[in-house]
Amino acid sequence: MRLELKGLTKKFGSFTADDDIDLVVEPGQIHAVLGENGAGKSTLMNMLYGILRPTSGEILIDGEPASFSGPGDAIAAGIGMVHQHFKLVGPFSVADNVQLGREHTRGAGVLSAKAARRAVLDVSEQYGLALDPDAVCEDLPVGVQQRVEIVKALSGPKTELLILDEPTAVLTPAEITELLQIMRNLAEAGTSILFISHKLKEVQAVADTITVIRRGKVVAELEPTASESEMASAMVGRAVSLQVDKTPAEPGEARLEVEGLTVVSDAGVKVVDGLDLTVRAGEIVGLAGVEGNGQTELARAVLGLVKPDAGRIAIDGRDAHGRSPARRIADGLGYIPEDRGRDGLVSEFSVAENLVLNQYKDAPYAKGGVVDAGAVHRRAVDSIAEFDIRTQSPDESASSLSGGNQQKVIIAREFSRPRRFLVAAQPTRGVDVGATEFIHSRLVSERDTGTGVLLISSELDEIYALADRIAVIYNGRIVGEVDPGTPRDVIGRLMVGADAAAAEAGPETGTDAGTGSDIETSTGIETSTGIETSTDEDANGGDR
Amino acid sequence: MAVDTMEAPALVDDRAPARHLKAGVVYAALGLLLVVLALTALDGDRTTTVAFDRTLADADWALPTLGAVIALGAVTAAAGAWMIAGLAHRWFKLASVAAVTAFVLALLVWSYSQPGTVFRAESILAGALFLSLPYMFGALSGVVCERSGVINIGIEGQFLMGAFTGVLVANITGNVYAGMVGAMLAGALSTMLLALLATKYQVNQVVVGVILNLLALGFTSFMYDQLKKADGLNDAFSIPTISWGPLADIPVLGPVLFQQKLFVYVGLVLVAAVWFLLYRTRWGLRTRAVGEHPAAADSMGVDVNRLRFWNVTAAGLIAGFGGAWFTIANSLAFSKNMTAGLGFVALAVMIVGRWNPLGVLAGALIFGFTTQVARDLDASGSSLVPGEFLQMLPYAVTLVVVAGLIGRAKAPAADGVPYNPGDK
Repeated sequence: MRLELKGLTKKFGSFTADDDIDLVVEPGQIHAVLGENGAGKSTLMNMLYGILRPTSGEILIDGEPASFSGPGDAIAAGIGMVHQHFKLVGPFSVADNVQLGREHTRGAGVLSAKAARRAVLDVSEQYGLALDPDAVCEDLPVGVQQRVEIVKALSGPKTELLILDEPTAVLTPAEITELLQIMRNLAEAGTSILFISHKLKEVQAVADTITVIRRGKVVAELEPTASESEMASAMVGRAVSLQVDKTPAEPGEARLEVEGLTVVSDAGVKVVDGLDLTVRAGEIVGLAGVEGNGQTELARAVLGLVKPDAGRIAIDGRDAHGRSPARRIADGLGYIPEDRGRDGLVSEFSVAENLVLNQYKDAPYAKGGVVDAGAVHRRAVDSIAEFDIRTQSPDESASSLSGGNQQKVIIAREFSRPRRFLVAAQPTRGVDVGATEFIHSRLVSERDTGTGVLLISSELDEIYALADRIAVIYNGRIVGEVDPGTPRDVIGRLMVGADAAAAEAGPETGTDAGTGSDIETSTGIETSTGIETSTDEDANGGDR
Repeated sequence: MAVDTMEAPALVDDRAPARHLKAGVVYAALGLLLVVLALTALDGDRTTTVAFDRTLADADWALPTLGAVIALGAVTAAAGAWMIAGLAHRWFKLASVAAVTAFVLALLVWSYSQPGTVFRAESILAGALFLSLPYMFGALSGVVCERSGVINIGIEGQFLMGAFTGVLVANITGNVYAGMVGAMLAGALSTMLLALLATKYQVNQVVVGVILNLLALGFTSFMYDQLKKADGLNDAFSIPTISWGPLADIPVLGPVLFQQKLFVYVGLVLVAAVWFLLYRTRWGLRTRAVGEHPAAADSMGVDVNRLRFWNVTAAGLIAGFGGAWFTIANSLAFSKNMTAGLGFVALAVMIVGRWNPLGVLAGALIFGFTTQVARDLDASGSSLVPGEFLQMLPYAVTLVVVAGLIGRAKAPAADGVPYNPGDK
């Protein structure tokens, strides 16, 4: 399918989300759309998929103008979409999720389970996407759920164009490598792909053409040969440093000691299982791991939000047992939660109020139990200037801010009081390149003032950029502690549960190439074979 | 593929014996209490009589009460002891069912041991099925609504509308079946308001449900007062009992299943039909998707709010028919607030039945049975326990059943959450 967008514009009231977008996707091409959060990428895709109606402009499919009144029309026209937030019905089987909306029936609306199962197997065989049609979706790992989404998108009556909206946000390095390979295979088979992302490496590895969008406008068309810094500055509109400058750490005394920590979930699963970890003053310990391996529960246990079932936590040399979260915060514990919407901000409160959420009852913000609005306001003005929070005023509600600026509010709050130890969970999730740069440099300067920092991140890039020491978590245990010079593939293996000795022996001996071939692909994009194929495709892309 | 190399997380072993102290102690204590009470308060020569009153006139069974109560109490206590000693997870449910059933049976045996009371098995079971109908219709209506993601606490109101309209239409047309159709339409019209407000205007569904209940109560009460002034508008209509010839003479089964009113058969067929529709058809797949994850259904081209609208309206047909049970099936004229809160109990039955038509059937039968037993004991006049307490019996049993057997019931994920297609 050849897809052409002509002057596509979407306005929400006075706000223009997309402004006069022109874009052409050739058949069998992987076309990347690169842009920061809020640049208008998702709005664009939602127009293409019939979820939103364009204010003006045209969508041409193979030269014919198309207009969609709903996703059903887009599917019928041959467009399939994999959403950033999966659209899977959890308790349904894979087959039921795939057939939803275009059910296989034996007539009279009675479902044919056999035909539905067959259809899933057909598509999964055709494209090499292994799936069990009877598995219940909510029990599947995220990577497999995404495969279900892809099979679902490909199962349309004649899917010729696949939209992938930030598909790698929730995947492990191994799953990302696999996904990029799937994309290449699909493109080779003639499917056009629109790949929405803000991750430069992936775009570089897989795209034939790159369109960069900033503030709703197309600002650049790049070849995949463009360097990362070229792409980043096109996205942000100014030069961006992708490297974090930092000096070697000078670790001091232990600020966080975790011994034998065990947390059992409501479902009776040991989510943290005898975990040991020490973080010292003046160092950043990066906790690498696939999400859902106990990071969340560890962070919550350190803050005191969940009660450990066994083990000991000491913060700044004091046993934390029996100390409430408020007490721990008052003692100098800082916390950047992984889900800022749920744990980090009261979204209906103003920016100023959010900035003093953990100090509102202390001087100078309160006197005799009454909040001093003036002091809160002055504090907000200062923080907004210092942390470059883009808001119309301190009295705007936090929910009106973009994700990156919400994160800056949290960081400003945590960094504006004396602290001894900081837990930073996914500090740059959903935050664009510019804000990431800022947050990273603040974390490093935080370390330099002598705070101990536990950095929990599922992004290996972030771990590498910041950590002085890397601990890998798997199934609720620390399965390895390595220094930041360790190659990505070693950490990638640790993250999926290969034991430490085998992980380090792997690359040198190469003897387990056969058994480890699955693991070999888990090495992150740079070291994988992916880059070679993509260079070939770059050449092809150039020819077109 | 990296996923294949991942181990399953360390789950608590399903087969490893685990102690269930709280439940175990409660059951053991209840069982022992029964035994002790029986030994102190029951005469050894007392008997409980079970009669097959409709088919076999002379085949009464006489059960030694003391022995039966002690045996059943022992079963309850033993199940409790087993839980205290520790048992594999998969046996827990069995032990709970045994304990609860034995305990309830023991109470039943004891209650019917009073001189002059006879457990008329066939009448009581047939009556239980009949009395379970309002719960069945109400809960099925709730299942259809909530599976599509709309909370309907207005079932009580739809019952009232159905009960009232059923009689009125039957009186006007002179045809009782037209009355039933009228009741269904009245129920559907009243849910249509909920459907419209919940889908198009995204109003809080609990608020709308409460208001619909009050509206229905006020409207039917007002109309009742008006109709009293006119003759022949609120006369009782009745429908015949359907007898299936020789099948009706089978002991127990005959009177229970083959000698009932039309409503019983409609109820049972509806349970099967709603189950089949929900789990085996395109409509059901979409309905469940819309109740669990409307955005997913929307992205596959399903019109979420349209489906919800029509499902809620269709559910009103069921609730309206359930309303006709109060008047037409019971051969009664309409009276103010005659549904007496049964619409709310039906919601409880829906939850006890875990939003599944088969669960609803089981829950409704338990309610129907306990209600029937309570009425029967009360009517016999020689019960140990005052009638008011007997009327609490169904609810006490529900508490035991929910706490002991059902545990935490999970509602459809998007239940009660309005869907705005522009949200995403």
